[in-house]
Amino acid sequence: MKPMRRYSTREAVDFAVIGAGAAGGVVASELAKAGFSTVVLEQGPWLQQKDFAHDELAVMQRSLYINDHRKQPNTFRRRPEEQAKVQPAIEYARMVGGGSVHFTANYWRFHPNDFRERSLFGGVPGADLRDWPIPYDELEPYYTRAEWELGIAGQAGANPFDGPRSKPYPLPPLPVKSSGVLLDRAAKKLGLHSYPAPMAILSQPYRGRAACSECGYCEAFGCEMGAKSSTLAALIPGAVATGNCEIRPHSYVQRIETGADGRVNGVLYCDARRRTLRQRAKAVVVCANGAETPRLLLLSASKQHPQGLANGNGLVGKYLMFDTGIFVHGVFAKPLNEYKGAVVSRVIQDYYAADPKRGFYGGAGLDARYDLYPMTFALDGMPKDEPQWGAEWKKNIGYRYTRMMGILAHLSCLAVERNSISLDPEVKDAWGLPAIRVTFENHADDLKNMQWAADRSKEVLDAAGAEKIWQDKVASMTYSLHLMGTCRMGDDPRHSVVNRWHRSHDVKNLFLVDGSSLVTCGRQQPTATIQALAFRAAEHMAKAARNGELA
Amino acid sequence: MAAATCWQQVWAAAQQPPPRFRSFTEPEAAEIAALAETILPEDDGTPGAKTAGVIRFIDAALAGHDEHKRPLYRTGLQQVQQQRRALFPDSSSIAALLTDQRIALLRAVEDTPFFSQLRRHTVMGFFCHPKYGGNRDQVGWKHIGFEPKMHHHHPFGAYEQEPE
Ligand SMILES: Cc1cc2nc3c(=O)[nH]c(=O)nc-3n(C[C@H](O)[C@H](O)[C@H](O)COP(=O)(O)OP(=O)(O)OC[C@H]3O[C@@H](n4cnc5c(N)ncnc54)[C@H](O)[C@@H]3O)c2cc1C
Repeated sequence: MKPMRRYSTREAVDFAVIGAGAAGGVVASELAKAGFSTVVLEQGPWLQQKDFAHDELAVMQRSLYINDHRKQPNTFRRRPEEQAKVQPAIEYARMVGGGSVHFTANYWRFHPNDFRERSLFGGVPGADLRDWPIPYDELEPYYTRAEWELGIAGQAGANPFDGPRSKPYPLPPLPVKSSGVLLDRAAKKLGLHSYPAPMAILSQPYRGRAACSECGYCEAFGCEMGAKSSTLAALIPGAVATGNCEIRPHSYVQRIETGADGRVNGVLYCDARRRTLRQRAKAVVVCANGAETPRLLLLSASKQHPQGLANGNGLVGKYLMFDTGIFVHGVFAKPLNEYKGAVVSRVIQDYYAADPKRGFYGGAGLDARYDLYPMTFALDGMPKDEPQWGAEWKKNIGYRYTRMMGILAHLSCLAVERNSISLDPEVKDAWGLPAIRVTFENHADDLKNMQWAADRSKEVLDAAGAEKIWQDKVASMTYSLHLMGTCRMGDDPRHSVVNRWHRSHDVKNLFLVDGSSLVTCGRQQPTATIQALAFRAAEHMAKAARNGELA
Repeated sequence: MAAATCWQQVWAAAQQPPPRFRSFTEPEAAEIAALAETILPEDDGTPGAKTAGVIRFIDAALAGHDEHKRPLYRTGLQQVQQQRRALFPDSSSIAALLTDQRIALLRAVEDTPFFSQLRRHTVMGFFCHPKYGGNRDQVGWKHIGFEPKMHHHHPFGAYEQEPE
């Protein structure tokens, strides 16, 4: 392979992309393929397949891949009137490929109704439930592109609640696991519809990449086979091969710079040797995720944008949505060995749509899994009313590890204005920049939905024949793996940060493309939607650049 | 100090085996190991924390990644010793207590930050990759039926093979 093209920091490249994650990887590769000079600044390292290992201690307990809270702390509070305390509340992978490298790889499309829930359900007091500026049909071709470019395994038409699709999945579903067989049985008894999980994992070799070896280390880990369809494995190599794309790892962007005309013209970043460098660019695309994107915009306040970049209406950072869900545990008579293979093989979406008859807003997508690695299982896997150490506990963990399966209910999370990302007034990161302050408390309807979904999950586990069932506690979430909705998209500049093309209402040559754009969060599993939006946004950016709109 | 005595001390030190622990004295290590064994005991013929080498793991962790937790161990162990003397005035050490006495002792300190850290480290040492010093001969993984492999083959579990 040719060596990667390098750009000078003084040269104004066509696009500076901040963050090489799920969305950033898509945007960079699409822009480079369209012929634009693109520099991608990623704060984390550029790891390769050979760097990934089955090491639960390092990955799960010592923040090997995620944002290290010792260096990049955040503070947390439930409500704005409280004093925020240092307490880890957000998690994302800090590396080239971002969250697409370590995600569990559930790849759900949103339903057509997700884009118009306000119209269908009506308003919810205390929340700002809104329709999206675009309908499902407009995004459908890009879901299809994402599925084919990245390599998604699934069975078209198997989920009766899915929207229409223009093409089947490029790969057949992964083989069913014991949890999937049990979910199928339970669904049949209860009159529900279980279907093969759509997964960003190769069930067969695809475009030069190897198929999954079923090692079981998907969630939170990087794939040693390159079989997980991360942007790192599926897109970055092609982007670099165009000769128009430079990936610059260990580049922590600390400020986006504005010219006298109010437009952005470059970014300041800190490299591995802690030098501060300036990359000049004709346009800037921020793909730093739902937590870091609003932070960077707020850090980039200037004379022209005193409240922060793209923040004329004060909405940057607001309407944060968390990864809301509840887990119900089941123990079965015979071994399932759920630790082997991809995490999920079957899903049920019968309870997905919100129904006013339930008396609250909310819905659930249920999947069958048991995703605790040995250490995490022993630390947190047993019910809290049982011993947590000693001989009896040891016997329980020994008997149960292979015999467990749970239902994870992936839930709606209402957008509430006071739930937000802001800059902490006191706490700083290891570079001396203000830390993220998270303010988050689930809306009351989210909590009602949580117990309702736990009850449905119990019915499913019961119908599947579980010997013992227990649920996690219903409580407002304090930690999130999905970071969504802090720079909402919309047509009305009074109520949104970016327009339907992800372009800032305030700054013409600034685009925000990642989880921050989401208006609602479906029933979690946002990555398919984030990436479909990224394909669509990149196409628009290329067009705008060709038309001279960004020069 | 005279040069000769100094030299003698160096010589004497060189004759000692290197210290077995980096974060603990020998007696401290024996006490911590006894507590870890109470958390994860050898039972019904299945190995416990001692066989897994949990103390090696904790020692290495406190000399590296978790160095900042040393003060917690120091004060925590002191508290447990106080508790031991209160409960069992005639005892000389945690390691010398009977199993039931050690269980009673841990029950008494179950809600302290030290206990929760020690439980955490004990579990980590039992289930970590063996390269970290614990989980010797993979006894932790074997206890729960976890087989670490790069390739697994279907069927994984009993239910894929059952007729409907
Ligand atoms: C354990 C885990 C399991 C998950 N499983 C699933 C799943 O099964 N299905 C699903 O749909 N979603 C899942 N997710 C969520 C998924 O990872 C995210 O939704 C997705 O990655 C978000 O994409 P993004 O482009 O918005 O941001 P990211 O993928 O987070 O990318 C942002 C990138 O920007 C970089 N960055 C941030 N700030 C800066 C800066 N100042 N300078 C330079 N670079 C910066 C980051 O390092 C990162 O690489 C999971 C997440 C976790 C943590």
